[in-house]
Amino acid sequence: MRIWSCEHVFGHPWDTVIKAAMRKYPNPMNPSVVGVDVLERAVDGRGRLHSLRLLSTEWGLPGLVTAILGTSRTLTYIKEHSVVDPAEKKMELFSTNVTLRNLVSVNERLVYAPHPEHPGKTVLTQEAVISVEGTGLGRYLESLMASTISSNARKLLTNGGRGGRRRAARRQAQKGVGEDAPALPVWERSLRLCLHCPGTREALRIPP
Amino acid sequence: MTSERASVATAFAMNSVGEACTDMKREYDQCFNRWFAEKFLKGDGSGDPCTDLFKRYQQCVQKAIKEKEIPIEGLEFMGHGKEKPENSS
Repeated sequence: MRIWSCEHVFGHPWDTVIKAAMRKYPNPMNPSVVGVDVLERAVDGRGRLHSLRLLSTEWGLPGLVTAILGTSRTLTYIKEHSVVDPAEKKMELFSTNVTLRNLVSVNERLVYAPHPEHPGKTVLTQEAVISVEGTGLGRYLESLMASTISSNARKLLTNGGRGGRRRAARRQAQKGVGEDAPALPVWERSLRLCLHCPGTREALRIPP
Repeated sequence: MTSERASVATAFAMNSVGEACTDMKREYDQCFNRWFAEKFLKGDGSGDPCTDLFKRYQQCVQKAIKEKEIPIEGLEFMGHGKEKPENSS
C-alpha cells in the first residue's frame, strides 16, 4: 500500500475554482479521461449537493500489457462521489476505480477550501491510497503508480498553464513517496496512464 | 461564424459512456452548470430546472452501463443502496 498526498494553492476565490472543477473534463492535461457521466445528483437536508459520477478512462495500453493483465478491455471506470457545501465553502471528492479491482485499487480524496490566510485564494488538498494485489509485481506497480501521481502533480504545479494564466503553487507538501520518475520504456509509460488522478493532471480552466 | 463557435463548443464537450447519450448529456450539463453557478453557489439550492433533462439522460446512461456490464450496481449514494439501476426515479 502506498499513500500520497499533495497540496496546491489556486490564486482564485473558492467559487471560481469550484465552477471550473465541476467542468474540468475534457482536460488537455489528462486526455485519458474520455467520458464523464452523472449517475445521481441530489441536494441533502443540509443544502449540500451530492453528485455520483462515472468517469471512463482510456488506457492506451499496448497489446502485451493487456495480455499480461488478462483483460481485453482498455477502458477503466472510476466512480466519483462529490459533495459541495456552498455555506461552508467546501468541496470534497472521493474517487475509486470500479474495474480491475482484483488487480489494483486507487482511492483518492480531494478537498477544495478557501485559503485560511488569503480569502481570494483556494487550497486543494489531495490524498491517494494505492493498493496492488498479488505478489512480486505488486510492490513494483505500487511504487510506479505512486511516483506517477507524484510526477504528474509536480508537472501540474510547475506548468504555466494556458493563455498566460499561471497556476503556480505557493506551497507543496508531499508525504510517503518521494521518487522521481525515471526514464521508462513505452510499455511502462503506458501502464502509468492507467492511473486516474482527478486533481493532479488538471489545469483548471478558470473562466475570465 | 456561428458554425465555427458551435464546433469549438463541441470540441470542448465531453462524451458519455453511452454513445447514444452524449447529446442528452451535453444538454443536461449546460442546464446544470448554469443552475450551479447562478443559483446553487449563491445560496439558492431549490428549484432545480434540469430534472426532466436529467431523468431522460439518466435512463439512457443506466441502459448503457448495463449493456457494457460496468460493475456499478449495488452502489450506495446518500445512504440509499442501488440494486436495480432501472428502478431509479
